[in-house]
Amino acid sequence: MSSVDQNQTLMTQDGVPLKVSLKRSQRRSKMRAFMLVFPLLAFIFISFIVPIGSLFTRSVDDTLVNEVLPLTFEELKNWDGQDVPGEPMFAAMFMDLKNADKIQIGRVSTRMNYEKSGWKSLLKKTSRKMKNIDGPPYKEQMLKIHKRWGKVEFWQSLTAMKDPYTLGYYLNSVDLKYGYNKSIEQQPEKRQVYNLLWKRTLLVSLLVTVFCLLLGYPVAHLLATLPLSKSNLLMICVLIPFWTSLLVRIVSWMVMLQQEGVVNDTLVAFGLPEEWRLPMMYNFTGTLIVMTQILLPFMILPIYSVMKTIPPSYMRAAQNLGATPTLAFLRVYMPQTLPGIGAGSILVFIVAIGYYITPELVGGKDGRLIGNFIAFHMQNTLNWGLAAAMGVILLAGILILYWLYDKIVGIDNMKMG
Amino acid sequence: MGSSGPFVRYENVQKSYDGETLVVKNLNLDIAKGEFVTMLGPSGSGKTTCLMMLAGFETATHGDIMLDGKPINNIPPHKRGIGMVFQNYALFPHMTVNENLAFPLSVRKMGKADTEEKVRRALDMVQMGQFGDRRPGQLSGGQQQRVALARALVFEPELVLMDEPLGALDKQLREHMQYEIKHIHESLGVTVVYVTHDQSEALTMSNRIAVFDDGIIQQLADPVTLYEKPENSFVAQFIGENNKLSGTVGAISKGVTTVDLGKHGSIKAAAVNVSKGDKTTVSLRPERIEFSSKKPAASKPSLPAKVLELIYLGDHIRCRLDVAGNDEFIVKVPNSSLSADLKPGVKGHVSWKTEDCRALDFVG
Amino acid sequence: MALPIYATTGQKVWHYTYLTICAFVLFFLIAPLIVVIPLSFTSGVFLSFTPEMLSLDPEGFSLKWYKNMLGMCNDPSIKTMCSDKWKTGAINSAIIAVAATALSTGLGTVAAIGLSNPLMPFRKIIMATLISPLIVPLIITASGMFLFYAKVNLIGTYTGLILAHAALGTPFVVITVTATLSGFDRNLVKASQNLGANVFTTFFKVQMPLILPGVISGGLFAFITSFDEVVVVLFMGGPETVTLPRQMWSGIRQEISPTILAAATCLVLISILLLTTLELLRRRNERLRGITH
Ligand SMILES: Nc1ncnc2c1ncn2[C@@H]1O[C@H](COP(=O)(O)OP(=O)(O)OP(=O)(O)O)[C@@H](O)[C@H]1O
Ligand SMILES: [Mg+2]
Repeated sequence: MSSVDQNQTLMTQDGVPLKVSLKRSQRRSKMRAFMLVFPLLAFIFISFIVPIGSLFTRSVDDTLVNEVLPLTFEELKNWDGQDVPGEPMFAAMFMDLKNADKIQIGRVSTRMNYEKSGWKSLLKKTSRKMKNIDGPPYKEQMLKIHKRWGKVEFWQSLTAMKDPYTLGYYLNSVDLKYGYNKSIEQQPEKRQVYNLLWKRTLLVSLLVTVFCLLLGYPVAHLLATLPLSKSNLLMICVLIPFWTSLLVRIVSWMVMLQQEGVVNDTLVAFGLPEEWRLPMMYNFTGTLIVMTQILLPFMILPIYSVMKTIPPSYMRAAQNLGATPTLAFLRVYMPQTLPGIGAGSILVFIVAIGYYITPELVGGKDGRLIGNFIAFHMQNTLNWGLAAAMGVILLAGILILYWLYDKIVGIDNMKMG
Repeated sequence: MGSSGPFVRYENVQKSYDGETLVVKNLNLDIAKGEFVTMLGPSGSGKTTCLMMLAGFETATHGDIMLDGKPINNIPPHKRGIGMVFQNYALFPHMTVNENLAFPLSVRKMGKADTEEKVRRALDMVQMGQFGDRRPGQLSGGQQQRVALARALVFEPELVLMDEPLGALDKQLREHMQYEIKHIHESLGVTVVYVTHDQSEALTMSNRIAVFDDGIIQQLADPVTLYEKPENSFVAQFIGENNKLSGTVGAISKGVTTVDLGKHGSIKAAAVNVSKGDKTTVSLRPERIEFSSKKPAASKPSLPAKVLELIYLGDHIRCRLDVAGNDEFIVKVPNSSLSADLKPGVKGHVSWKTEDCRALDFVG
Repeated sequence: MALPIYATTGQKVWHYTYLTICAFVLFFLIAPLIVVIPLSFTSGVFLSFTPEMLSLDPEGFSLKWYKNMLGMCNDPSIKTMCSDKWKTGAINSAIIAVAATALSTGLGTVAAIGLSNPLMPFRKIIMATLISPLIVPLIITASGMFLFYAKVNLIGTYTGLILAHAALGTPFVVITVTATLSGFDRNLVKASQNLGANVFTTFFKVQMPLILPGVISGGLFAFITSFDEVVVVLFMGGPETVTLPRQMWSGIRQEISPTILAAATCLVLISILLLTTLELLRRRNERLRGITH
């Protein structure tokens, strides 16, 4: 195969340079392949990527307040932030509230209450009694409606919301908040919950990963070294739970672990005093036990598939070279299983860190994780911005781990069952 | 070639996959109806590419391929009606042997009774009659090969292509199948284009052989000519065994020249595509050389030699000698004519007939 | 795995410890599921084994909780809610799961065929995108979908849940079908065309039957994903679209009655059925593959 001279390009039948026509036909073929993928890509984009994206926008979005109180924020620029503002500011606030409808004020007050509690009742009361005010000067009359209008902290808290975008929710997710003019400060002691929560989530995920590894490694080894007929039978014990509904598994653990459950009953039957029944459900321990059982297959299967590819001749060779079985295992076998350990651990950790259902049902109060608070803010407090921010932080962490997973095993090698 | 012109014709065909290098360079090849033509060449020389262009899975970058006088460049593969046996057989794993054979007939909308009849006959032809209900996975390699052959023939194509069909079989089975394919070719009268890189397979089966190298047909000839009269060093080297001596071409008269071997003297040789003053590689077949401890008659070309090693191979003895500075010089001595004085260390002469000694293009 | 005769005492001890650990872990995995099954046949009202059950007295067993689950409410001893809810839940789940599976299997298979083309541009990033629903935690997916689907009025509708579940199911289809296709011998396509079949015949008679096991197992994954899914349903479902897991969720939160155990037993059986089907498919696939290699 010799190269063709530089000055003599290859031509096709009809005189088009071959490279050009090759490119053209490749482009056609690429296009055809892409057209096959396109429908699904579009579907995933609309039904999944865009919703996740809306989480992003929601987490920094602060347009609502700015849209409902435009005059106030305009006037805020002229305020020095030291003393209770003067008449113009009160006038602006009055006009804004007057122009807004009831639903809008409700939403805005909820939002403003996140920055400083008290806003909600303040706005509610003010908007209710506003019809009594028929003209300027507004300051005095508003102060009469509610004396909080005379507190400088409330006016100062407005500065945290002055832009249409905010990082406030992210700050809140890590127990920080905006102070005057968007300076960053600590949340007051009694409102600090999230750092503890992040730490607990990491701790639970880490513990579950370690437990899964400790319990899963020997089983994977057993499955990989037993003759096929026996290991297939034992494999069922791993696969059936893997395939069974999460809720079913949780229910069965409740039956096992609750105060009047099977485990405690058995212990009592063996002589445990009635009043010593172990509290294993609706707490931190319950979360750990149940999550470990649920995630164990995610650890066993990757390690098993790596172990399956290690021929027994390595161990034999090592022992033949004089190593004791223990040494041979530690120096020869174990290092070869590291990719499996890595893949399994990352997988378990990723899944554990975003868990919601299990801690919600069996975790009680001290077993609740970040996922539960996302749900809590989505469904109960309706603080969607905060829920979104926590979700985005969680997602970022997971994507980093996912990238690591891709480095270790490759997305393409992901296998099921 | 028949009066109606060639059946398959490659006309100035070129092929490039990437637009930079030519995998097939200016191929011209005519194949007559009923002929068995083999493409022989080392790996990567472009044989499969030539076959794929004929079957329609690759398009020629340049030139025409004609079937029965008509260009087929614009006919899609499934309308070409050319049978093909693939390298790994490509039997459909989800169909039984019968279903595999019925496939080409059913896409041609043939009736049920006809189909059954044809399938049965095709299977009988390859002695696979009782395996019709098996899946390919339940057959041995040789049996799969037969089914692949039957499938390529069942729809009665006039042209059958085979891409190293015996490559995956062991030696004994391969030889047996060579015989069977040859037999089927003769009894059906189909035209066969066969690809292999096994030279003995090519020699035993073909009417003509096209030796490929570097995207070019190095020589196209019947097996005897190819073996006896190689046109260049590549063919001489690739087909059969070959001793090489380097020298310079002297004066040529009536196709015979004197090759100067430098300090080792000079020999007479048939001049093939060389001219005076060229460097040349002289080719000598090991079985056309005689060794004797006495100096042969002056009329016979000869060179002094020293025996280095003897290897016993049953029917013949391979004898390694040092001749004109080449210590890999091989002579094949038939077992029957082994003389007692042929022993390592013995000095003597090798001699041959002038026409068996060919001065070809020089290879380093 | 057997111990050699020359094993030292230490090795023997370690070996049996190891086997014990393995036995414990396997028990830990499977025991809870096993316990549920007999308990669902209790004739009592508590979630523990009654003395009658332990002594295998037929009096201790009954089918009343199964009847209760099916909405047959004539047993006076049962005080818990009894209605058609489980049945409607199962029907809703089945409708949503079947539709979502059809959608994700169709789109996923076609996409996998495109992805397996060696010339496919941006393969890696597209693959990552298509698999992402598997990676993102459900709580995040559910929150995002809730925010977005509310804008287009799909909350509480079948359509919304079907679209959401189809998105969650596609990664499985893409992964399994791509894996099947990677082992596909492209010569078979050439052989088929050479034998006279056009593009469509080749696809339906040769390519499709060979990748079908992969498509079906991907579809089963997608089905079970949708059928068992609860987080998205909690966020996006309405009173009209209460699914089986949703029903179970509220059952668990209110009070666990043996009715839930009956439902759980049914679900365990369904998953065993699916697992068996998958295993059979895998075997069939391996048998088909046996030849080309
Ligand atoms: N689809 C392709 N794209 C790019 N290059 C190719 C392609 N197919 C073959 N080639 C190149 O073309 C050359 C000739 O290949 P071809 O398959 O025709 O060789 P061959 O003679 O059949 O070899 P073998 O005996 O090993 O089968 C090789 O260098 C190969 O790398
Ligand atoms: Mg080839």
